[in-house]
Amino acid sequence: MDTRGGSEGTTLRLPPPPDALGHRRRPSGEAPPLPHELGRTGRIWLLLALYLAIAITIAMSYGPLRRAAEAFDTALLRFFAELRTPWLTDLALVVNALASRWTIRILRWVTIGILVAFRRWRHLVVFLGAVVSVEIIAYQLSLAIARPRSFDVRIITDWNGFAMPSRPVVSIAITMIAIAYTLIVPGRSRYLAKWAIAGVLGLLWLTRMYLGVDQPSSLLFGAVLGVALGVTAFRWFAPNDVFPVSYRRGKAAHLDVGGRRGEAIVRAVRDQLGLEVAQVKPVGLEGSGGSTPLRLRVRGEDGTEHSVFAKLYARSHVRADRWYKAGRTILYGALEDEAPFHGVRRFVEYEDYTLRLLEDYDLPTPEPYGIVEITPEREYLIVMEFFDGAVELGDAEIDEQVVDEGLRLVRNLWDAGLAHRDVKPANLMVQDGHLRLIDVFFVQVRPSPWRQAVDLANMMLVLALRSDAPTVYRRALAYFTEDEIAEAFAATRGVASPTQLRTSLKRDGRDLLGEFRALAPARPPIRIQRWSLRRIVLTIGVAIAAFFAVGMVISNWTVFA
Amino acid sequence: MRARGVLVLLVVLAALQPACATSTSAILSCRLNEQSLILTAQAVPSAALVPCVAELPAGWSYAGTDIRSGRARFWLDSDRGGLHAVEVELTRSCDTSKAVEVRPAPDESGARVYAEPISLEPALWANRYVVFSGGCTTYRYRFVPDAPSTLSLEAEEALGFFPRSALVQDVQDRFGLTLCGAGAPPCEG
Repeated sequence: MDTRGGSEGTTLRLPPPPDALGHRRRPSGEAPPLPHELGRTGRIWLLLALYLAIAITIAMSYGPLRRAAEAFDTALLRFFAELRTPWLTDLALVVNALASRWTIRILRWVTIGILVAFRRWRHLVVFLGAVVSVEIIAYQLSLAIARPRSFDVRIITDWNGFAMPSRPVVSIAITMIAIAYTLIVPGRSRYLAKWAIAGVLGLLWLTRMYLGVDQPSSLLFGAVLGVALGVTAFRWFAPNDVFPVSYRRGKAAHLDVGGRRGEAIVRAVRDQLGLEVAQVKPVGLEGSGGSTPLRLRVRGEDGTEHSVFAKLYARSHVRADRWYKAGRTILYGALEDEAPFHGVRRFVEYEDYTLRLLEDYDLPTPEPYGIVEITPEREYLIVMEFFDGAVELGDAEIDEQVVDEGLRLVRNLWDAGLAHRDVKPANLMVQDGHLRLIDVFFVQVRPSPWRQAVDLANMMLVLALRSDAPTVYRRALAYFTEDEIAEAFAATRGVASPTQLRTSLKRDGRDLLGEFRALAPARPPIRIQRWSLRRIVLTIGVAIAAFFAVGMVISNWTVFA
Repeated sequence: MRARGVLVLLVVLAALQPACATSTSAILSCRLNEQSLILTAQAVPSAALVPCVAELPAGWSYAGTDIRSGRARFWLDSDRGGLHAVEVELTRSCDTSKAVEVRPAPDESGARVYAEPISLEPALWANRYVVFSGGCTTYRYRFVPDAPSTLSLEAEEALGFFPRSALVQDVQDRFGLTLCGAGAPPCEG
């Protein structure tokens, strides 16, 4: 699905000898190309929150210190109380509405709505998790510290519960930080948003002191807690490098390869594969959902440039794969005997293995060049041959030779005991009149007979899209028996075909599936729905998890509602 | 990796549990140095008395607190009376128009006490109002069916009042500051 043809006209063969262009080993202790970190300001906020928590615990539990702290806070509150006038009080009450339940409620629901509309699920999950966690932490801290409201001054607005940390300030701080990190594109806009947040928090600090409702230190702790935990949550669980805030259309699986990540890719490919990358460019995004496909322009020793293909995998892809497989197990049961991967490293290792395996069987797949570490255990790049000048089968003019090559490809996969499991127009390329097969990540060794049969039907459907069913059927009889073809179309229904193939069939208008079934001997459909203990346990487990998730949302509804 | 995920899920579930209920740690005990008592006094600054828990009899447990400006509530569970068997609420005033005045208990001298039975069968449901200077405490008895009505006497034994003046003095002694409201010098603002 991923390798796309360019216009260079020549195929780059890169035998990657270990001693090519000066490989460089990363010494122990040196940061990886793209380190996973909170950033300087994130660390500062977290340390500040920690420092305040420790300082407050000591001050609140040691009598003389507590007395001094209360005296200091009260002196400031008295100063503000002396400034009270009717119009200033009215103004303060209006400003204080910024931290009201209604303001926070509206901001949170609008944020949730926008995230849902733009299908930024990762941001949504981190947003919900951060808000609920911070509210709980602030609530529990307020009980543990148990600081009453202000002394010596009359409190002239409503309050709820203990004073430290100031929970309304915690709530508005985490909400605004969440908005900055989920809705605002990084750069000048986010920079300005952070200053606006500082302005709002500063204004609330003055206002709530004026109203006598929170002590200065309770307000400070509330603001620092909300900001620090918010920044930490978003930088750690939804870093912009991996989950960019973008309002462009596109699949959420694709990573941003500009900025720090782009630089890291160039550096890592040079150090680990000895290839000098001149340009990193996403390609074929529309046909790819499980990785970020890239074309790397590589400069040779003689100064000429060639292309290599690369796929960037991140932990988010592993999680997506896990959900995908769990979903398929629930939907199809024992037919899909798939085990999820336990890490992104395993992901790339497996794809590298399948590339080498298919190469051993002399199948027309890209030559693997190697794996590049971007962030240990989080992001890896797998680099392989780029089929220069190749066009996607869906856009190519094909002749009987290409039809034959497609059918022979499936026969060879069967004979080798393999299944590709993702045969669709985007994964079949035509280069110089010959068929090429790409995206071998789903290849399975010793697959179920059903899966092999589905590969055949999908290949015949793809080939028929660019020709016609009788021609493909006639050519197929050279490689498969009539019974095998009948089995293939008995096995292939609905979701057994990749989404892109189903869409192409719909767009084509012809009933190709019906035509093939009419040509092949009659055979009752093969049942897709199979039940197994694993499937039952998984289905029940997912139902229980969903029940608890809904329960948790309902239990913590007051955080939002 | 999977074990870590399960662990995180459990931690989250455990952490979310307290959010489902109101605090159980902010117990309103009838003793000095109790921060919840001071907060309750701040909630209704006019009240001369602050309701609290003197000593819980066997079978009773403290279930939750909700203190905010204008009112303070706490409630008790009973192994025989059920969950939320008694709720105690302090407000500035209360409506006693449907209640009849009864004799106050010994620790309620100076207050006027009213009783408002709602139902006796199959379970005792009743309100009891203790009206005093600047405040009113409402006891809401909501027992489960077949719970003995004598549980209300147990609850009355368990509950008491703390004089606001003692809290004002305590804040003055500990912090040198004023707990604004009844019995205290005027506050700024």
